Amino acid sequence: MSLILEQMPVVIGALNTGFIQTLKLFFVTLIGAFPLGLVIAFGSMSRFRPLSLATKLVVWIIRGTPLMIQLLIIYYFPGLVLNNPIWGGGETGRFLAASTAFIINYACYFSEIYRGGIQGVPVGQEEAGLVLGMTKSQIFWKIKLLQMIKRIVPPMSNEIITLVKDTALARIIALQEIIFAGQSFMKGSHGISGAIWPLFFTAFYYLIFNGVLTLLLGRLEKKLDYFR
Amino acid sequence: MKKVLSLTLTMAMVLSLAACGSSTSSAPAETTAAAAETTAEDTTAEETTAAETEAAETEAAEAETDSDLAYVQDKGTLVVGITEFEPMDYQDENGEWIGFDADMAKAFAESLGVDAEFIVIDWDNKILELEGKTIDCVWNGMTLTDEVTSAMECSNAYCNNAQVIIVPADVADQYQDTDSLSDLSFAVEAGSAGEAEVDALGLTYTSVTSQADALMEVAAGTSDAAVIDSLMAAAMVGEGTGYADLTYTVGLNSEEYGVGFRKGSDLAAALNDFFADSYADGSMEACAETYGVQAALIEQ
Repeated sequence: MSLILEQMPVVIGALNTGFIQTLKLFFVTLIGAFPLGLVIAFGSMSRFRPLSLATKLVVWIIRGTPLMIQLLIIYYFPGLVLNNPIWGGGETGRFLAASTAFIINYACYFSEIYRGGIQGVPVGQEEAGLVLGMTKSQIFWKIKLLQMIKRIVPPMSNEIITLVKDTALARIIALQEIIFAGQSFMKGSHGISGAIWPLFFTAFYYLIFNGVLTLLLGRLEKKLDYFR
Repeated sequence: MKKVLSLTLTMAMVLSLAACGSSTSSAPAETTAAAAETTAEDTTAEETTAAETEAAETEAAEAETDSDLAYVQDKGTLVVGITEFEPMDYQDENGEWIGFDADMAKAFAESLGVDAEFIVIDWDNKILELEGKTIDCVWNGMTLTDEVTSAMECSNAYCNNAQVIIVPADVADQYQDTDSLSDLSFAVEAGSAGEAEVDALGLTYTSVTSQADALMEVAAGTSDAAVIDSLMAAAMVGEGTGYADLTYTVGLNSEEYGVGFRKGSDLAAALNDFFADSYADGSMEACAETYGVQAALIEQ
């Protein structure tokens, strides 16, 4: 126990650095995947058959394969097959590759939630808009969008909380996120070797961050209550 | 209106589709340029135009077929793939990479006229990293096994090592020779030399992802014993370490450490020359003494 207390300051420092990477990946993924998901949702709802089929194919591929494999492909494929290691070996390259994989992956999941939200708005709302002489895009932006947002908050909250924990997958391409940082103490890191507890301790970081997120998302849900 | 909308969406889709493939084309300008075309004094990576990037690509491809040494010298950095592994590669208080391997790697890079850059990798992916050119060598107390030498271009061996058995300290006296090991269940690193040893002895074992995981198995009691490198065992097991209740007993085999490069790389030969020179002038031994591994050093 005293050994753990002695190691605590160093370990916390290293885990914080790792957790910053985790948070960066989390926020960058959300910022990228929110709009991209909407684009994909429009694509899959398009009346233009080739477009909707192509979108559905992409969504199928991305949702149908493990994110871990997608990370490996995006990071190693350019160097292995195209003989052009575009990401480089450094920390930044690994982060960019991980962000790309996460944004594409999560955008596909979001797109299906958006689609459900948009199609779940009662048809009467659209008809009312048409009667008022609004165009399709006016109906979307002025009538449907906010109602859709209200509907998708619970399923999106679910995905967002899953995303927090999924960021750990990025360790497969050696992104130094918190699990990687915690695990490195088992081998030896920052002068501490053979310490198991930091790996398990990382769970608290996820737990606390997800607690905060749950509260915030719960509030958002309440705020959108006025559409009843 | 509808047509305009569907056209916009088509374009948006094409763009987002391109995003999947365009991981290949959007970010590369700076990296390729840095990797292949420019020398250290002139890295105008951001200003690189598409045409220049193409030129860089072909150049990189040529460099690869020609000489890995030239490729590394062109880009100005030797990227060394490591894991934190005392006393070979580890960080000092200032975050600087030190250790016997790290110091030798810096000296080798200097002899080539390039900078050494250390990247922590996932050890399981070392060959992927090498072939994907995200690193240029694996220099981290790597045991020269058949798998390693067939997948990489390896340098001459530079350091001796042994595989040792780790058991809880309170039962250690029962397991002082190989015959006594038969009723134990082992945890070993997948693909490690230790795995090959216990397999050859016909012992019961579970493969785990790293030597550290193997230690944790013993500490947690999920396996009776583990097999790890003696250099690592000396640093990580026993009094004053995280595993105070464990100890090491029998040494199974002796083995040697080497440095791995891409298959067919001429850097391995360059490193062998460098090893020979620095062994001859005593600098290699001096470096080994700094980290307490001089006894394990192999004559070059």
